[in-house]
Amino acid sequence: MIGLQLLVQVLALGAAYGLVALGFVLILNATGAVNFSQGDLVMAGGFVAVALGDRLHLPGLVLLPLLIAIMAALGAAVALVAYMPLRARPPEAVFISTIAVGIILQNGANRLFGAEPLAAPPLLGVGPGGGQVRFAGVTASVQSLAIIAVAALLIAALHGLFVHTQFGRRLRATAQDREVAMAVGIPVDRMIVGTFAVAAALAGAAGLLLSNVFFVVPTSGGDYILKAYIAVVIGGWGSIPGAIAGALLIAAFEVIYPSLPLLLPALNALPDSDGWFSQTVSTVMLNLAVLLILFVRPRGLFGEPIGQRP
Amino acid sequence: MRANRLLPSAFFLGVVLLAGWRALAATATPNIPVLVPITGFLAAEGGSQRNGALLALRDPPAGVRPQFNVTDTGTSPEGAVNALERALSDGQPSAVVASMLGTQMLAMLPIALEEKVPLITMSGTADITRKGNPYVFRFFPTDSVVKGAQVRYAIDAFHIARPAVIAQTTAYGQSGQAELIKALSAAGITPVYQDALDVSVKDMRPVLAKARAAGADSLLLQLHAGPTALLLKAAAAMNLGLPIVAGSGLAQPSTVALLDPAEIKGVCAETGSSPISAETPAMQSFVARYRAAFGADPDGFALGQYDATMMVLQAVAHGAGDAAAVTKALASESYPGLAMTYASDGHGNMAHSAVIVCYDGVSPIPKIARHYDFPADSP
Repeated sequence: MIGLQLLVQVLALGAAYGLVALGFVLILNATGAVNFSQGDLVMAGGFVAVALGDRLHLPGLVLLPLLIAIMAALGAAVALVAYMPLRARPPEAVFISTIAVGIILQNGANRLFGAEPLAAPPLLGVGPGGGQVRFAGVTASVQSLAIIAVAALLIAALHGLFVHTQFGRRLRATAQDREVAMAVGIPVDRMIVGTFAVAAALAGAAGLLLSNVFFVVPTSGGDYILKAYIAVVIGGWGSIPGAIAGALLIAAFEVIYPSLPLLLPALNALPDSDGWFSQTVSTVMLNLAVLLILFVRPRGLFGEPIGQRP
Repeated sequence: MRANRLLPSAFFLGVVLLAGWRALAATATPNIPVLVPITGFLAAEGGSQRNGALLALRDPPAGVRPQFNVTDTGTSPEGAVNALERALSDGQPSAVVASMLGTQMLAMLPIALEEKVPLITMSGTADITRKGNPYVFRFFPTDSVVKGAQVRYAIDAFHIARPAVIAQTTAYGQSGQAELIKALSAAGITPVYQDALDVSVKDMRPVLAKARAAGADSLLLQLHAGPTALLLKAAAAMNLGLPIVAGSGLAQPSTVALLDPAEIKGVCAETGSSPISAETPAMQSFVARYRAAFGADPDGFALGQYDATMMVLQAVAHGAGDAAAVTKALASESYPGLAMTYASDGHGNMAHSAVIVCYDGVSPIPKIARHYDFPADSP
């Protein structure tokens, strides 16, 4: 039973991290630039959810469409301010400009909401918690299950957007080859702004999902951008399925590695078992796994291999 | 005739002006800059520190009219050093309300020594009062005091014998964990489980499940505010059912606001003081003034910094005219503050008391379960 319990926790955490990493990859593909403000957009989404919850007293699920719209507008603004004027400059200029956006968001949140941790409303209900459910001998919070469901729906919706809509096809064309997309008449600049909007909307959704359970403070973004970056490196630079797989792997390390002695009691016989399976060592192991993946598959788990013809 | 009428008026005006001039001459105007982190990862605690100082500076004792500016030090040592140098360039301060961040304090200490300016702080970093610097005064109980109280209460109230100790990997967490182990060891108790968590750890269930599997009969925590709330939420969801004595992170009203009161039923925490528990009329007045001024509940950092700033202002009111006299007063006199009576142990540690607060599962305001006073020369 503990295995199933841990699986629910991994899926809930990994699904939310996946949304963060997805937004990161979308912008990476569309512009070739790393958006270092993606983590701070997650934080901004968390605070927008807190503000909406305070004013409207509605469950997170009801607030989600409005939150997505607000965050999409913020993403478009970030594109217009921090990317479009610099798109012809070297990539470092965009790195710096998105870092600057992140710092502005952090300090803006500090000014508007203060520095103390706050919690967004749960997806279902408006109280501080969301209740528990029991199934198959597992106790899971309603919020965790709702996070998995909402993240899965958002990822499916994103897939539908890319595959079944003209807008999505144009976004993909822009991501694959901007010059050719421009040559065939696709409004590339608008597509890039649209990509920033979609990425920020995903970040906002992640912010709502994460900030109910794990709270939000103005400095939360730093942790999320690091996880998104690692997820993308693990999954394959620019790979959408890879980003989700990478996010799930991070969540698995955070949840399962420290619990290994519970899953496999024989491990308790190891000398200093508590030390070896502590949260700290779990972080070290995750990063060793990242190094191993980079060594064995430099393009990541889902990255296309690079080869030279003989 | 007209001159006769004017004469008394002119005389009266002269008397008023003379009295005003004498009163002005008798008013002390110490310069007390407030250099605290109000942005960055310590912004919540730094904000409390600033608010406590401002409450004292805006309502000083009679005969004192302090000059002050608030400067955000951020969280880098450079930010603190720049802020202190800028404050010094504005004129010699009588005292400086200095950052509670240990790394910033360590960077400011040499400047304070060179300029002979006392720093009053809430920093818990042990090293700042171990460097032999006579210009540092800490108004928050050291880890040895609060952790000593935490262990004593756990033994007295819950008769613990097999505790699990869960701390943070930060300097705050490690220092507190070491003191917890020391205090437990002094009582002949060895923890059955220990873990240190990075502040980014989100899922607390694995660590709680391992503590339970190790046979722990209680949890002793030394976690920052957010992780404390995360862990207590997880413990409630798991129906852990073990006595928990948390660190001061829980005693901050903003932490409790993240939790349903039922989730912390029976949970206790150590802290230097708990102003919102307001045991005395003076404390109730402080809480009311704080709420009116800042629209929030005060925590122990706000109260400690208020007491520290008031001790400096009282010293000025009693004739301490410059930084040297204020330093001497801080080093040699005791001050009955709202939270406790403060007196230096010879190293600048001014606070030697701690309280244990407990939550009843209904109200977010804790009740003070026990006071612990430690002699100034103990630990």
